Amino acid sequence: MNRTVARLSAQALFGSRRGIVLMLIPGALLVLSVIVRVLTDAEIGLEVAVGLGFTLALPLVALLAATAVLGPEIDDGSVVYLLSKPVSRHVIAVSKYAAAWAATMVLGALPLLLSGLVLDPSEMGQAVALGVGAAVAGTAYCALFIGLAALTRHAVVIGLLFTLLWEGALGGVFGGVKWVSIGPWGREVASWVSPLVDPVGLGVTYALVATILVTVASVWFTGDRLRSFTLRGDE
Amino acid sequence: MSVLSLDQTSRWYGNVVAVNGVSMTVRPGVTGLLGPNGAGKTTLIALMSGFLSPSAGAVTLDGVALWRHTDAYRSIGLVPERELSFGYLTGRQFVLANAELHGLDDPGAATERALEVVEMTEPAARRIGTYSKGMRQRVKLASALVHDPSVLLLDEPFNGVDPRQRLHLMSLLRRMGSDGRTVLFSSHILEEVEQVARQIEVVVSGRHAASGDFGQIRRLMTDRPVQYVVVADDDRRLATALIAEPSVVAVSLRSDGGVDVSVSDFGSFAVRLPLVARRHGIRILELTPTDESLESVFAYLVGGDR
Amino acid sequence: MTDPSAATPAGGSVIHDLGYRPYTGPRLGAGAIARALTLTGFRNAFGLGRSGKSKVLPFVLLALNLMPAVIVGGVLAFAGLDELPIGYAEYASTTQVLVGIFVAAQAPVLFSRDLRHGTISLYLARPLRSSAYALSRWTSLLGATLVFLLLPILILYVVALLGELDVSEQTREAGIAVGLAVLLALSLAGLAGLIASWSTRRGFAVVATIALLVIANGIVTAVQGISSEEGRSEVGEVAGLFSPYSLYRGLMGAWTGADVPTPPTSTGMELAYVAVFVGLSAACLAALVWRYRRVATA
Repeated sequence: MNRTVARLSAQALFGSRRGIVLMLIPGALLVLSVIVRVLTDAEIGLEVAVGLGFTLALPLVALLAATAVLGPEIDDGSVVYLLSKPVSRHVIAVSKYAAAWAATMVLGALPLLLSGLVLDPSEMGQAVALGVGAAVAGTAYCALFIGLAALTRHAVVIGLLFTLLWEGALGGVFGGVKWVSIGPWGREVASWVSPLVDPVGLGVTYALVATILVTVASVWFTGDRLRSFTLRGDE
Repeated sequence: MSVLSLDQTSRWYGNVVAVNGVSMTVRPGVTGLLGPNGAGKTTLIALMSGFLSPSAGAVTLDGVALWRHTDAYRSIGLVPERELSFGYLTGRQFVLANAELHGLDDPGAATERALEVVEMTEPAARRIGTYSKGMRQRVKLASALVHDPSVLLLDEPFNGVDPRQRLHLMSLLRRMGSDGRTVLFSSHILEEVEQVARQIEVVVSGRHAASGDFGQIRRLMTDRPVQYVVVADDDRRLATALIAEPSVVAVSLRSDGGVDVSVSDFGSFAVRLPLVARRHGIRILELTPTDESLESVFAYLVGGDR
Repeated sequence: MTDPSAATPAGGSVIHDLGYRPYTGPRLGAGAIARALTLTGFRNAFGLGRSGKSKVLPFVLLALNLMPAVIVGGVLAFAGLDELPIGYAEYASTTQVLVGIFVAAQAPVLFSRDLRHGTISLYLARPLRSSAYALSRWTSLLGATLVFLLLPILILYVVALLGELDVSEQTREAGIAVGLAVLLALSLAGLAGLIASWSTRRGFAVVATIALLVIANGIVTAVQGISSEEGRSEVGEVAGLFSPYSLYRGLMGAWTGADVPTPPTSTGMELAYVAVFVGLSAACLAALVWRYRRVATA
């Protein structure tokens, strides 16, 4: 892990308009939680707010963070300044991932924990479970999206299609999708931490192993793609 | 001593051959890589900086292959053509980050040294987003110099830089070369290369067209007549006398004085001219070769009319 | 030296000047310029007139959007149903993710690219006012979105007619769906265009637009779901004003009787929905024109 690369990536993340939108998403989630708490009792509210946070806010934050940390630099070629140094490509990939991961944890997973607390202050364990589940899912999301960003310029749209179409729409229709979707893995871990969260039916071992596999494979892939980066002129 | 060497190097993308069997050795001093747009200059620099693997042949630095050899970057400084887009960092922060990434013992001191060399110490506190093009080039150069590399590769460093800063950059490069570093820069503007590098490598359509001192290259082009301008006190009589010489191919009178002479064998011309002048009592005032410039060499190599 | 098309004078010789000559003939007005720009923009939204790679995304999305319609048609034919399994208006509500991604992904093609690379100055250097440019681009995006939304309605309509369903009823339902689609397209084009012209980085504009649409929709749906369960549906009705998708759903529920959480129940509320729908589009369009006027005078 190279601190300089991580620091540069963090600066790129928060130093622009992207940073504002990045903060608005968890903000919206918390606002919703407060509204829901005011309107109704805990049970329904929790499901709804968690559904929104888990299936929408968390992956969107991960997508924004991951594509901000790698996409623009590869696009305009300025990643060459990082690559023309005696630093291993995999170390660069891991450092960038670390910056995006930190942002995802703070702006994606933490708000879910807070929103759980807002909606049901009596059940601390439940909120923590949500936070942990979101952390697990966020880790995998962030890794997958950074791998996408290293692969193609259209990482954002593909990531959106994955989240909204595959995990969202199709996941609602076909039960089998949950084995290959990151959101359900996170939820399974959450239900293992606290029985108050409904399990998804995957088994926590599968969920954890799948998360670790996806994370490691994606970050390794990113490092590998960085090794094949080519210098291009102004064409 | 750092020597970059390409040995029968080729690079192709499917059916398109970007670099075709190029063999060249880049030694300490300033070398100009010259060629028209699309000739493969950026591809060559990418090969020499380890960002591209050769499809055939070998690219080595002091005998070690460069592709995927990350440690080589300790001795290579690269100034790419692409614009610096870290607009939110100040110049100093950017160079400092580069110094840290090189793992230098004292990045702060190295940063200040590099900034001083490119004369950017004052503006370094401002954000890069506020810099002019020339200032960005200098910051790029500082970031490439911060680890004191023995090889410096610059891709079109004078692009879009204003004349004053260009002069500054040129003198900087000359100084680097005389310091013993291996400096290679690419350009398609002949005047720049002429003023900074005596040693040139010319690439045309991916092939290595010529290499060496451009004055000597000119003299190697023996199948083309050499042009001179001779100004004498009696141009017409000189012209009449010269056309009788076997080494002279053509003469023509210039409207503003002087005679344009086309010579096929400049060796014997150099001997015959004073003799002819003395015999006819003509005083020679000026003798200038008109096409020993890089431009004519280049036009010849590129034009393909050989 | 004379113009090459001039005739040779009788009994004389002439040399014609073949050098550069400026165009001195009649020129079409600003209206024609705007029309041409709109047509080009419309084609560019689908990647036509650009490189092959830019066609992939819009056509993939379009195909994904039409596929269910085709499948529904097949089901109708083979199962011999006597009414469409999915209503015309409901279709767009179900596939709202796809139209959202389409609009979010193609708006940067029309708005961000010129601003980012500075070619906007080439456009504005012509006798084309900045407001005309903004309107023309918005119209292109609107047209593309309408194609996206109306094609499935058309397919379902044709299939319904071929399946010998009641013509007048189908036409009425399709007509309502077309009206709703127009309202939705207006607001989506406005929002996406505004965000794309404000943020010049493509990826960022896409995520920002989608985030806005989807999260607003999610929040509103959540609030509506809760309020309907709690029996306080007025809250749900008001909440429905805060997202294009929920506005669409609300009006759909009111005008076609589809099953929707908290549709507007009074005429006043319905009018409010329509007003907000149109007002949102108008506001976005005005902001867009204002933005380009700023760009032109900057």
